[in-house]
Amino acid sequence: MGVAIRDIIADYKAPVTWEALPGTAVIDANNALYQFLTIIRQPDGTPLMDRNGRVTSHLSGILFRLSSFMEKGIKPVFVFDGKPTALKQATIDERRKIRDTAGEKWKEAVERGDEAEAYKQARSSTRVDTAIIETSKELLGLMGIPVVQAPGEGEAQASYMVAKGDARYVVSQDYDCLLFGTPVLVRNLTVSGKRKIRGRQITVSPERLVLSDTLGGLHLTREQLIEIGILIGTDFNEGVQGVGAKTALKIVQKGEFVQKLAEKQPGFDPAPVMDMFLHPPVTDDYALAAGHPDPEGIRKMLCDGYDFSVERVDRAMEGFTVKAGQKTLESWF
Amino acid sequence: MLKATIDADIFKEAIDAISALIPECRLHTDDDGISTRAVDTANVAMIGLSLKKEAFDSYKASKSQLGIDISKMKNIFGMAGKGDLISLEMADNAQKMSVSVHGYNYSITLLDTNTIRKDPNPPTINLPGKIVIKGEDLNNALKAAAVISDKIALGINPKDQTFYLVAEGDTDHIRRDFSKDELVSLTPAEARSLFSLDYLKDMGKVMSKAAEVEIFLGIDHPVRFSFDIAGGNGHVEYLLAPRIEAD
Repeated sequence: MGVAIRDIIADYKAPVTWEALPGTAVIDANNALYQFLTIIRQPDGTPLMDRNGRVTSHLSGILFRLSSFMEKGIKPVFVFDGKPTALKQATIDERRKIRDTAGEKWKEAVERGDEAEAYKQARSSTRVDTAIIETSKELLGLMGIPVVQAPGEGEAQASYMVAKGDARYVVSQDYDCLLFGTPVLVRNLTVSGKRKIRGRQITVSPERLVLSDTLGGLHLTREQLIEIGILIGTDFNEGVQGVGAKTALKIVQKGEFVQKLAEKQPGFDPAPVMDMFLHPPVTDDYALAAGHPDPEGIRKMLCDGYDFSVERVDRAMEGFTVKAGQKTLESWF
Repeated sequence: MLKATIDADIFKEAIDAISALIPECRLHTDDDGISTRAVDTANVAMIGLSLKKEAFDSYKASKSQLGIDISKMKNIFGMAGKGDLISLEMADNAQKMSVSVHGYNYSITLLDTNTIRKDPNPPTINLPGKIVIKGEDLNNALKAAAVISDKIALGINPKDQTFYLVAEGDTDHIRRDFSKDELVSLTPAEARSLFSLDYLKDMGKVMSKAAEVEIFLGIDHPVRFSFDIAGGNGHVEYLLAPRIEAD
């Protein structure tokens, strides 16, 4: 799950209020959907489902979360992952293994009646599959939210769009976006509110990371931040065993990156990974203009198709179909 | 049945007027010309458009309804140049329409009219204030306001005999008063309503090409814009619901 540089950048994370967030926000779609799927669950870990057993947690997240974003003046844009690079294959295989094991443990826990364990394992077994992505895109389209298809990593594309000035910040939980060069990363937006972490109930609020402040504070260049990432491990390479963020920071600050890597992982060439972060495949082929939402279409999809309550859907739609205070012509027909 | 040719600029103007509000529409054809009436998906704005047969170079049609993908049309006609002719041809009950422009021959599949929202009834709304203004002046005022806010109040001050536009941003403020001599005409009445600039901006772009736009206003009521297109051989009406003024 991204790069574990949390320990060294904790000082540069600043809480951010909703008032400071209006504007175009590029949302790392796969990350957000994953968050929705893990958080929006019943107490025993079962995701929300319609009567046919189809998962609806992500649709619920998109509708209810985003309508509250939009009400607050945030203009969301979703960026979906394209083809994973060959570099990431090991990570993907590893994640699949974890998910499969968790899936079995979840079943066992449910049988035992161990609710806490079931919830934990269910979350770990979460996967964002094609059906989840397709239905998400369908709903986003109906809501008039622009969708961008990244040629490669969604985080890379999102970071590029912010760096280019087309959007204000990237929304993701993963710090990778900083390595990809987003000037501003906002975390916890998709998950803000009361949340259960390792069994404890805590309140999560949005936080902001500014790349230039982080690099300036740590006396690093972006390349050096990527070097730290490479040492502790990224989605594209396995890190050096026993090296965490703090040790990696020291190594890089002392200029011993090449030496250390050669010593610990002889034969590993970090150049392709460095290049992946500095020059990832991105596209300029995207449109950010929000479309008109289609309330009838949303009702049809969610209420008729997935058993959502009409009342709740209608209430959520007030957040974006018509701006607060906007009357409709209905009163005059 | 439809068989018609029309100047590309004139048809583009009509398509642009529709696309400012809706991505697809039901087009009615008959002996006298074509027309459409539609509300946007959020039920906030309505367009009524008619293009008389005199707007066409040649025109023959029977009474029929066509489901048109307006966004697609807009893209197709994007490549038409000045003086180009567009020809439209469709047989009775056909699912496709032939469109020729600038040497390109398209066969466009029509939308099933059952999937398009029913035509709204023309509402009867009493709007006492009336302003007639140059389309360009109106559009410029809307554009200026859009810089600082997403909503704008349109009103008439009957005492000063002025038409005004006021927009309030989070930090900024803009006001433009049009005196009677800056307008084509003014029928004063107490009027003020607040509107979303998201809609007005798109409408303004279309109206900027009209020599004169009639604006009908009331107090916290919808606004109606009425103007000619196609050199007087076509007509557009926009209706836009107000926003509630916050205290």
